Amino acid sequence: MTVTTYSSTPLPRRRKSAAHWVLRALGVLILVLVIWRVYTVGMAENYPASFWISQALNGLVLGGVYALVALGYTLVYGILLMINFAHGEVVMIGGFAGFFALQFFTAIGWLEGSAALVAFALLLIVGAGMLASVLTGVTLERVAYRPLRGAPRLVPLISAIGASLFLQYSVLLIFGVSPRVYQKPALIAGGFRVGDVFVPYTGVIIFATSLLLMLALYLIVQRSKLGKAMRAVAEDKGTAALMGIDVNQVIVFTFILGSALAGAAGVMLGFHNTIVKFNSGFILGLKAFTAAVLGGIGNIPGAMMGALLLGLIEAIGPSALGIPTEYKDIISFSVLVLILIFRPSGLLGEVLSEKKA
Amino acid sequence: MLTRSIQRGLRIGAISFGILTYLILVGLPTRIGDAAMPVLAVAMALLFWISLRGGVSKQDVSARAPAPLFTAGTMAGLFAGALTATLIAFFTGLLADGVRLQPIFDKIVPQNMAALYGVMPGVIATEGIPALGWLRQTLFLTASGIVGALLVLIERSIRQRSFPRIPWLRWVPLILPFVLLAFVIWLGMPGVTFGGNNRGTIRLLATMVTIGSGIFALRAARPGAEQRVFGLLFFLAIAYLPFTLDQFQNSVMGIVFIFVMIGLGLNIVVGFAGLLDLGYVAFFAIGAYVYAFLAAPFSSPWVTAQLQSLGLPYNQPLVSYWMAIPITMVAAGIGGVLLGIPVLRLRGDYLAIVTLGFGEIIRLFMLNLSDLTNGPRGLLNIAPPYLFGINFGSPREIFILALIGAGIVAFAAYRLDGSRLGRAWIAMREDEDVAQATGVNLVRTKLLAFAIGALFAGLAGQLYAARQVNIFPENFSLFVSIDALSLVIVGGMGSIPGVVIGALALKGLPEVLRGVDEYRIVTFAALLVLMMIVRPEGLVPSTRRRRELHEDAEPIAGVDAPSALEQLATAEPTATQKAGRQ
Amino acid sequence: MAMIEARQVTKVFGGLVAVNSVDLVVEERMIASLIGPNGAGKTTFFNCLTGLYRPEGGDIVFDGQSIVGLRPDQIIARGMARTYQNIRLFGSMTAIENVLVGQHVRLRSTPLGAIFQTPATRREEKKAEQKARELLAFVGLAGKGDMIAKNLPYGDQRLLEVARALGSDPKLLLLDEPAAGMNPRETDAMLHLINRLRDELGITILLIEHDMKVVMSISDRVTVLDYGKKIAEGRPEQVRTDPSVIEAYLGAGVIDVHAPA
Repeated sequence: MTVTTYSSTPLPRRRKSAAHWVLRALGVLILVLVIWRVYTVGMAENYPASFWISQALNGLVLGGVYALVALGYTLVYGILLMINFAHGEVVMIGGFAGFFALQFFTAIGWLEGSAALVAFALLLIVGAGMLASVLTGVTLERVAYRPLRGAPRLVPLISAIGASLFLQYSVLLIFGVSPRVYQKPALIAGGFRVGDVFVPYTGVIIFATSLLLMLALYLIVQRSKLGKAMRAVAEDKGTAALMGIDVNQVIVFTFILGSALAGAAGVMLGFHNTIVKFNSGFILGLKAFTAAVLGGIGNIPGAMMGALLLGLIEAIGPSALGIPTEYKDIISFSVLVLILIFRPSGLLGEVLSEKKA
Repeated sequence: MLTRSIQRGLRIGAISFGILTYLILVGLPTRIGDAAMPVLAVAMALLFWISLRGGVSKQDVSARAPAPLFTAGTMAGLFAGALTATLIAFFTGLLADGVRLQPIFDKIVPQNMAALYGVMPGVIATEGIPALGWLRQTLFLTASGIVGALLVLIERSIRQRSFPRIPWLRWVPLILPFVLLAFVIWLGMPGVTFGGNNRGTIRLLATMVTIGSGIFALRAARPGAEQRVFGLLFFLAIAYLPFTLDQFQNSVMGIVFIFVMIGLGLNIVVGFAGLLDLGYVAFFAIGAYVYAFLAAPFSSPWVTAQLQSLGLPYNQPLVSYWMAIPITMVAAGIGGVLLGIPVLRLRGDYLAIVTLGFGEIIRLFMLNLSDLTNGPRGLLNIAPPYLFGINFGSPREIFILALIGAGIVAFAAYRLDGSRLGRAWIAMREDEDVAQATGVNLVRTKLLAFAIGALFAGLAGQLYAARQVNIFPENFSLFVSIDALSLVIVGGMGSIPGVVIGALALKGLPEVLRGVDEYRIVTFAALLVLMMIVRPEGLVPSTRRRRELHEDAEPIAGVDAPSALEQLATAEPTATQKAGRQ
Repeated sequence: MAMIEARQVTKVFGGLVAVNSVDLVVEERMIASLIGPNGAGKTTFFNCLTGLYRPEGGDIVFDGQSIVGLRPDQIIARGMARTYQNIRLFGSMTAIENVLVGQHVRLRSTPLGAIFQTPATRREEKKAEQKARELLAFVGLAGKGDMIAKNLPYGDQRLLEVARALGSDPKLLLLDEPAAGMNPRETDAMLHLINRLRDELGITILLIEHDMKVVMSISDRVTVLDYGKKIAEGRPEQVRTDPSVIEAYLGAGVIDVHAPA
């Protein structure tokens, strides 16, 4: 069920050297230190259970959104074996489009109408974000990546870095520096209580939408004809082409899928974080990439799992480690670095093999 | 056939419309002023030229004939022009109605539209769309479409004609740098009024072109005596530059050559060893901060406290600039090894991401370890270098030091390139597994690349700290890494002269073209993508990179010739030469 | 004395036993061959010998010392070099540079020495280049030293791989299908070269080969692998008539074992 990539003839595997064991020991040491820190902080602070639960719920919501973005990385990586460095910007552009759609529907008054009308408007807003992201993603593929297919690996990566900067700073130039603030429609602004835990409506909606979209993606990849073609191309481009699969079409389709998810994620993050800015995709992209790597890049369930885990780590981490919440980005960075160093194949096994790590 | 060229024209026109829309949305017309439309038309003519010449297969003779070419060009221009003019009219109409578009598009303001029509901004607010404005813009772009087609024809006829070889033409590039140098010196003489207010800028530009043309000429010169003599003269010319330039020009050239040093270091890591390091700024920062601790210990609370507890004076530099050099180099080198060890097993993209993470983590440390780094308040009053009691901290001296530093670093890089280690780096870049099986110790070779690259960046960082006097964490953001990477790539990965060209183009030119600073990053970014597509080997490619990136770059006679084995087989086996045992 | 002795070498990938308790002895100055149908584990066995894989079981004694657990660059330093089935040259380098990389383990120059061009470094580099040219001439690539490796004709690339391997002064040379993809004339020349490697340079040879003609005409000793197991061993004519070998090959149905040598 995974879009996995492994070479049929395994390349020579690195032997385990002394350096390997030093790294292992270092890894265990870091793990022990982290656990010890969490233990001492937990003893000292004594937060109520409801605090942890609401943090965890928050983490799940974030994780759901990360998962949508991480899937974009994983899909493209599975097919092209390249990190779409500009994927975070695709998310950000979706966020901007969603903002303008939200403005529009606010202006025509739909968001104060009946529940059905609000739901319909929200759907259209997410759709606008998805559309903008898909357009961006497809253009990106056409302009910055397709001409470089078959080039040495560094070449498309550098192009992707260029594209990422280009999109960020174009948005800065076109829309200005000031962040755009999402106003939640009154209908979904509140929340409900379960015991001591407050659950915002947006959180529930976002998490449910994420799950639905992931399910949809899963069905597309597993059941549809194009999904099967995708898996074939991921396995072996050359053979797939010989079997009559239009590889270009499959690649474009992959970008469409990934970007559509990214657009939805952009809009939902807009509602969740309330602001969207020219550079809000960059860090998010790195985090989603972390999530994809955490689960084993190229692996669809891995990306979902890794994203939920990362969301939880990020939400609970600062309190558990007893550090200010502003440091949550450092936590994600550290997770990324540690995972790549100690287990580059991710948590879900040896999917990535030596082809890339 | 006609419909085909019309279709082609429409396609090119649509893409051009997209590009024009982008340029208008980012507010370029406002920058250019009321000549915006003619300037854009010239730019588009070049774009039409490029898009019209490509995309036609050589066999497709009909499409190369003038008539379809002009049809396509005209259609492209007309289509792009009509669409763009309509869009501009739409925006202008809204603005004239008093709609504020700025909350959506930051740059769609009356000035922008007025520039496109070539009128005063007030006209837009009071009168709306000028009469015949739409037609004017459409015609401008139609004209650029026709000019584009014309350019294709001109280019073709030039290419078809064979030119007589003019022997002395070869000397032009060799003499050009010295002519330019004379121009630079002349511009600096008292009483010269050439260029008016822009004289200083023109001089700076001429200085950069002098150096750049010299670099290209050095490669064009015939190897041997000619190259050596030219090299010596060129060296003397550059050595003279700091003494003729003024303070501003020296200061710009100083930063350019500091970036040459950074670029040369990164070139070792990325260009030679093929390890894409996006956290390279870390070593630059280490160099700067270590020197700052030594030269301004009073700025760092922690260092001050330590010195106090040891009973040492803390209100003066601990060591001189020169004594600090080995210390910063060692610190940066150790930093290189320490950051290198964990990433030894990673390749390609993963390495890039992890080093990017490291770079950010280092910056966050600089921001948050307030005790040591004084946080965002930075380290202040860093002592300048002194030589024989003379302050070497002014822009001129910094430029001299940067030139010397870059020279030493370039020399070292050049020597390493052709050495045993250099070969190991290239072997590793091409095929890590085989390199190891051929005897290359990967750990040692990679760490040496990281360490030597870091060491160069550390040197640059020290000089940078001395130049800036005060350093802050934001001086060492991700963008230093990106700038360094861009200049290495634009110059040509693995190419030492390329680094100089890259630094001149990416750090120097923006200084000359003040006002486009806003567009600096988008321009670089677009350049990166374009470079990867059109010329991944860079402006001054190293021969080896070119070979790697172009399969058939150098057709060599004998590829289809029989292999040595076949020749051997046809000859009598006993006739084969004996190499004997070594 | 045995140049190399593999004892019960076993390599497992996941559930697949690619090399199953293989014993192999190659005496000094011998030309030994390893044959077997596709997927028999020959190249995997090579990768175990050269340190690219660490075998799960068994021991490999090279020149009197166990080399299990050493890195590939340490193993080549001890005198075992190899070539590859699918040519893996450093494509953007010249032929000379490829051989110079081959000499890497035998050279001593340091980065500082290179920067300052110390006399020792200069002498060493000069000698190394001289030797590289000699090696190219030995394999028959005289005068092609400055050509880019990937621009060389196919057969020449195979020769260059041999020259690169010779750069490390090997005592034992592992050749992975040296004659693959060659026409009969080229194959003959390659056989001649292999003989000269042994006769003139005194190098022990272990080769993998599919071409029976090559194997039978050149080998002193032939080992047959099938499904990772050794199924026969002996002089070429013994192996040729061994029923289990015939079965293995006829089962694979590719190569006529009875082809005249």
